[in-house]
Amino acid sequence: MDIVGEALRLLQGGLGNLAAYLAAHVLLCLVPAFFIAGAMTALIPKESVTRFLGRSAPKYVSYPAAALAGSVLSVCSCTIVPLFAGIYRKGAGLGPAITFLFFAPAANILALVYTGGLIGTDLAFARLFLSLLFGISIGMIMALIFRRSDAAHDQNGDAMFAGKATLKRASLAFLIVLAALLLSGTLKIGLLTDSYGKITLPLSGLDRFQAFLSRIVPVDAAKGQEGVSVQGAILIGLLFLIAASAWRGLGKISEGFNRWTWVSLGLVVLTLLAAAAGMTAHPGGLDILFTGKMLGVVLSTALLAVIALKRLTPDEVRDFLWESWRFIKQIFPLLVVGVFAVGIIRELIRPEWIKALAGRNTLLGNMAGMLFGVFMYFPTLVEVPIAKMFLSLGMHRGPLLAYLMADPELSLQSILMISAIIGKAKAWVYVFWVALFSAVAGLIYGALEDGASVWTIALYLLVFLAFLAVGLWRMSARNGSWSAAPLATQEKADKELVQG
Amino acid sequence: MKITILGPGCPRCHEVEKRTVNALAELGVAADVEKVSDIKRIMEFNILGTPGLVIDGKVVCSGKIPRLEEIKAWIRQAAG
Repeated sequence: MDIVGEALRLLQGGLGNLAAYLAAHVLLCLVPAFFIAGAMTALIPKESVTRFLGRSAPKYVSYPAAALAGSVLSVCSCTIVPLFAGIYRKGAGLGPAITFLFFAPAANILALVYTGGLIGTDLAFARLFLSLLFGISIGMIMALIFRRSDAAHDQNGDAMFAGKATLKRASLAFLIVLAALLLSGTLKIGLLTDSYGKITLPLSGLDRFQAFLSRIVPVDAAKGQEGVSVQGAILIGLLFLIAASAWRGLGKISEGFNRWTWVSLGLVVLTLLAAAAGMTAHPGGLDILFTGKMLGVVLSTALLAVIALKRLTPDEVRDFLWESWRFIKQIFPLLVVGVFAVGIIRELIRPEWIKALAGRNTLLGNMAGMLFGVFMYFPTLVEVPIAKMFLSLGMHRGPLLAYLMADPELSLQSILMISAIIGKAKAWVYVFWVALFSAVAGLIYGALEDGASVWTIALYLLVFLAFLAVGLWRMSARNGSWSAAPLATQEKADKELVQG
Repeated sequence: MKITILGPGCPRCHEVEKRTVNALAELGVAADVEKVSDIKRIMEFNILGTPGLVIDGKVVCSGKIPRLEEIKAWIRQAAG
């Protein structure tokens, strides 16, 4: 008897979380983000980025290029490891390849947009900045530690990143307008959130509908549960309609455009508009406020349509829609299941546990956040709602960042795949550095959140870097006897490359 | 004719497989279609990114999903 009641309570927790999530967060940030991800995959030729990764490129080009390639090319974790294998095999140095591997899952566009929308822009920026810094550092450290075998690898690798493909100007414009669409929906500035007009739809009974919604999905700020508004309910309905029409309209796009394609694209635009509008339900009907966001959505979608029809080839548009739909089909179900599970877990975990373990910015708290990230495996992007749950249960933002840095980078599965490519020793050294850097990232960010001055943090960072430098210097001094030889061979290889 | 599709099992690789089978059917050509998902074996083909399409030992396409017409053209050439 009691068990049944408990199970029902858990189920309600899961469903409530899912409904609140779909209504509040997905649309304006995730829908454009999926389309951006699709456009990046379909319209950016891989060679236009990876050609800067070859060993002939200087360090100040290859490392930033590796980071850029990571965030642009691989939007989901399943493509990262094969691409990593590809660029490593094609002759990228171990350093840039590692930078690519580290930066890609942490800072791809979907993950950043999603973190910003769900948890906060500050954490998204911290995630971007620190993973850029650490990605490049870890890459350089790995290149230093394994420089002998790296030089040997250089000789075996393919010398060429021969591709000369470049990004078309129309594709670039298309990507920029997509980004504008995303920003106009998510930025919280007055120009966009102010309303410029109002109409009232005379629908009665919406206030009762709202009361009904609040009853089944209760608002509980203490546990971080948000309710569902009438607007949210409308949006959820539209999402189902999109799903139904896109199955035929976008799923079969490779065979050509059909009527369902236009229906589903129209529904997507309608959904974006509905999400951008302000809606309030009252006994007299439904007020619809025309916001600046709505104007932004109208302008950018119109511009997108013009570019797609006039400047891109039909094949490119088809690829773009197919890739976008593929991302949605692949990632969205995982998110739905993940968010549902988070809703259930939140009912089971006591806030006191989290507060005791990682409620403050301590070394122990950051280690806990990092270890949880390393050993738990969550599908792409599901780490974000989980982080949100921890936050609302009282986790400090420092350990939270440590978790967010470690989770997408490492899982037992990815460690095994990586060690198949670069060998066990290198893989475990990589794991060690990622763990260390994640914990340090959490500590630094947490200290900043707690109001420590920038100088104290700079001092911490300096001490940490000094430790690193001394350690690496001692290691290279011990191995100094053989380090001269591979350097010579590398020069020879470079010369051969120039001559060839 | 021997056709190999390289990919660790992602949806894009399944799409290439599907289109290849369709192309073969439309042309009425018989071929051995093999799917390689072991990352070590994929690396032996020396491609930059998956999915990859190999016809009779020659990599014709990698890192993107080829169109049905492109696949047909490659098959015709190889059969040819």
